[in-house]
Amino acid sequence: MPAVYLYAIADRPKAPLPSSRGLQGASLSSLACGDLAAVFSPLTATDVQATESALWLHEEVVEALMAERAVLPVRFGSVFSNEAAVRAELMARYTALVAALDRVRGRVELGLRVLWDDDQEAIRKKWEITDHAQCSSRAPRALSPGDGRSYLMTRLEEERRAQARRQRAEALAAEIHTPLTRLAVASARQVLITPRLLLTGAYLLEHDRVAAFRREVEMLSAAHSVLRFLCTGPWPPYSFADV
Amino acid sequence: MRQLAAREKEVTLLDLLDRILNKGVILWGDVTLSVADVDLVYLGLKVLLTSVETAERMRGAGSCYTQPERNTVTDRAFAPLERAVED
Repeated sequence: MPAVYLYAIADRPKAPLPSSRGLQGASLSSLACGDLAAVFSPLTATDVQATESALWLHEEVVEALMAERAVLPVRFGSVFSNEAAVRAELMARYTALVAALDRVRGRVELGLRVLWDDDQEAIRKKWEITDHAQCSSRAPRALSPGDGRSYLMTRLEEERRAQARRQRAEALAAEIHTPLTRLAVASARQVLITPRLLLTGAYLLEHDRVAAFRREVEMLSAAHSVLRFLCTGPWPPYSFADV
Repeated sequence: MRQLAAREKEVTLLDLLDRILNKGVILWGDVTLSVADVDLVYLGLKVLLTSVETAERMRGAGSCYTQPERNTVTDRAFAPLERAVED
């Protein structure tokens, strides 16, 4: 038996497969395990290269499946030595996989990134006001070599600014994330993964809430004109497929 | 299906990478793509992935706007870029 490349776990094992091709031009197959199906294609060479086209091909297979069935997208690069190894994995985690499929059925994921810019005038002004209020009682002190106190004061000031920035980011992120969670059945968020990436959000939505979600993003964007909003999707539920 | 502008695809690719390489069900087989290989993907796309902030440079002015629901890969667009392309 050849090695197999796995795309997704789906429900309805008897449903027809998409006619599209998998990696290395192979046809898609599926193997059933109770109420689950693992969708895969055979590999002639097991060294799967993670190229851009391969990533999109994986995604296209998952999306084609998702049009008809509930799916749990499998992380890119999952190769098994044969079908029996896949079946063993499905059996070992059967209950968790069925529960995860129930969670994502009829739902899609939308992604949001919100970028901010420290140099933006509006944000900087707010910070200056805070800085003046807190620094006015502190006399400026010349920095001289070996001046441990000056060094310490500088470090403290840096720390205080970083903390204020973090607090501001958390507050802004909550202003954006909270209304969006009201439209979602599940969500995940990260704040300041990089200095300018204020919020990274993933939202699991009922299919018919996507339009409303986009409208909400548009309103939030209008209300936060100094921030940049990037919204993508609908995606397969990658961020909500943890088993 | 309509062809999307290259930069538009790149922004969406960024989001795809985040998901397909870092999320999704982990059913690691006994022969799997190594972590080093995944790192190579990122290296190969380093123009795009110098940081996620690169996305900002790729986008046009504006913000997300309401659009008809879309489901296919090639139609999935980062809305402001799409608007810029259509203008």
